[in-house]
Amino acid sequence: MKENKVFKAMRILVLALICVMCIIPFYVLLVLSLNAPSRVFYEGNMFVPTFAFANYADAWGKSRVGLAMLNSGVITFGTLGLTILLGGMAGYAIARRSTTYNKLVFSLLIGCMMIPGIINTVPLYTLMRQINAINTLWGMILVCSTLSMPSAVFIFTTFVRALPRELDEAAEMDGCTGFNVFWRIIFPVLKPATASFVILNGFGVWNNYAQAVFFLQSRDKQNIPQALSVFFQQFGGAKWHLMSATAVIAIVPVVIIFLLFQRQFIEGLTEGAVKG
Amino acid sequence: MQGKDYLKNIVAPVKLRRNGRKRDLTEFMSLPALLLFCTFFVYPLLKGVQMSLTDWDGMGEATFVGLANFTRFFQDSRAMGDIRTTLIFAAGSAILLNLIGLLYALLMEKPFHGRSLTRVIIYLPAIISPLIMGYIWYFLLQPGRGFLYHAMEQLGTSFQLGSWMSNYPTTMMVLIFVNVWQYAGMTMIIYLAGLQNIPTELREAAMIDGAAPWQRFTGVTLPLLLPAIRINVVTNIIGSLSVFDVIMSLTEGGPGYATESLSIYIMRMCYGSRTGYSTAVAMILFFIILIPVLISMRLTREKD
Repeated sequence: MKENKVFKAMRILVLALICVMCIIPFYVLLVLSLNAPSRVFYEGNMFVPTFAFANYADAWGKSRVGLAMLNSGVITFGTLGLTILLGGMAGYAIARRSTTYNKLVFSLLIGCMMIPGIINTVPLYTLMRQINAINTLWGMILVCSTLSMPSAVFIFTTFVRALPRELDEAAEMDGCTGFNVFWRIIFPVLKPATASFVILNGFGVWNNYAQAVFFLQSRDKQNIPQALSVFFQQFGGAKWHLMSATAVIAIVPVVIIFLLFQRQFIEGLTEGAVKG
Repeated sequence: MQGKDYLKNIVAPVKLRRNGRKRDLTEFMSLPALLLFCTFFVYPLLKGVQMSLTDWDGMGEATFVGLANFTRFFQDSRAMGDIRTTLIFAAGSAILLNLIGLLYALLMEKPFHGRSLTRVIIYLPAIISPLIMGYIWYFLLQPGRGFLYHAMEQLGTSFQLGSWMSNYPTTMMVLIFVNVWQYAGMTMIIYLAGLQNIPTELREAAMIDGAAPWQRFTGVTLPLLLPAIRINVVTNIIGSLSVFDVIMSLTEGGPGYATESLSIYIMRMCYGSRTGYSTAVAMILFFIILIPVLISMRLTREKD
């Protein structure tokens, strides 16, 4: 299909405008974070900051965003690791042994996929208090793993089903059984499925706020969103230079990871959409 | 192959049946995932049903109160306002996200120089925490102080955002706008994948038959996009009906309770030591999400 040149130029122009609209808020955040605390907007070109890099040191010191980043990192890695292991095992069992029991497990998990976490957060809170899991990273890892489990099981089951049966049957004939077949034969070839699971769930775990607000209240255990919201409420809308510098520090790791893996990321999302 | 099958029948005639119904310990490798899920999801869900029928305050003894929490909910004007807020936010978000996401995808469909960069830029907002995104837009839009206010002033225009934060319809419009701005890229990616799945021959055939662009779109493209529409509509409905983060950072549910969503209400009732009541609200939210999800899944069902 040929496209009219004028039409194409208009299409590119509209897309350029959309891109500008997507970038502007990030640019403004950067300007605000580099403005001297004393700067009032009326003076000078407000699109050029005064390059007060000291804001970042100040924000880093006052906001404890570094600790929050570490907590978010531990929670994200712990959640992804646990979910990949348990979800992979479950996916293997469900795909290779489609007994009534495994069909039930699959239906239960997929059926619950549509229930957002907030529905059971309050009763979960009382359970977490009973097992002393409030304000602990391991508690948060268990909660986040549970919420990502349906997605993991769905992805891994679909993927293992598409693998040739000869792969694990040959290993079973050689006397390798159960977990060993999974760990030595299946798990190594699950990489693409693992990647698409990480892509679909990783940022969500890193950015979790609706559960963190309940389970991570103590200052030492806050994750990024929880730490930022507490830090921002402290200022009640003043000190924008500090708030925006903290926000920049908080989003930089996410943006870097996204830009580094953007190709795999968009491909993974596309594939997930096609299969789902 | 013959020899291999023969060998299998000799070595383990029962164990290696190909139908996958073999029973051994491998079958139960799904048990750890099931146990975790039952402990932290299914059990709290059932416990929640029981708690929703009590007046428990989170500490002391719980008394069975029947459906009192539910009747109280429907008599509470704040709660009714929260239902309205949640529904308006979700309807606005889901409709606009799908229209704009589809429009973006159609604009992006044909290749051009810089296409993958454009895709990355449009998707970028979706990876940021919606809580932080809310704060960023707050810096931009705050009346009298926000960046946009000063920019408009410097440009000499008298256009000002007014006091959108204290006016109900405008606060809601801003919330929907920020949500759509953030997630349009995600919807777009799914629609792009859907468009790529449509065989070009089909659309070319329609063109040769003399179908107008609009006819080609509604007659060929749209029906074949049904799987993508289904994913987008269902995820957008679930996400926007349980909205929490962006409202917390942008308006905190204000002015008053005008933009408080049901998720925020549940959290505040729980902190207000009305544990039993807040679980009842969660049960109600469950059905508020379930009904439109089931309806939209039925409407987008593929016809054979």
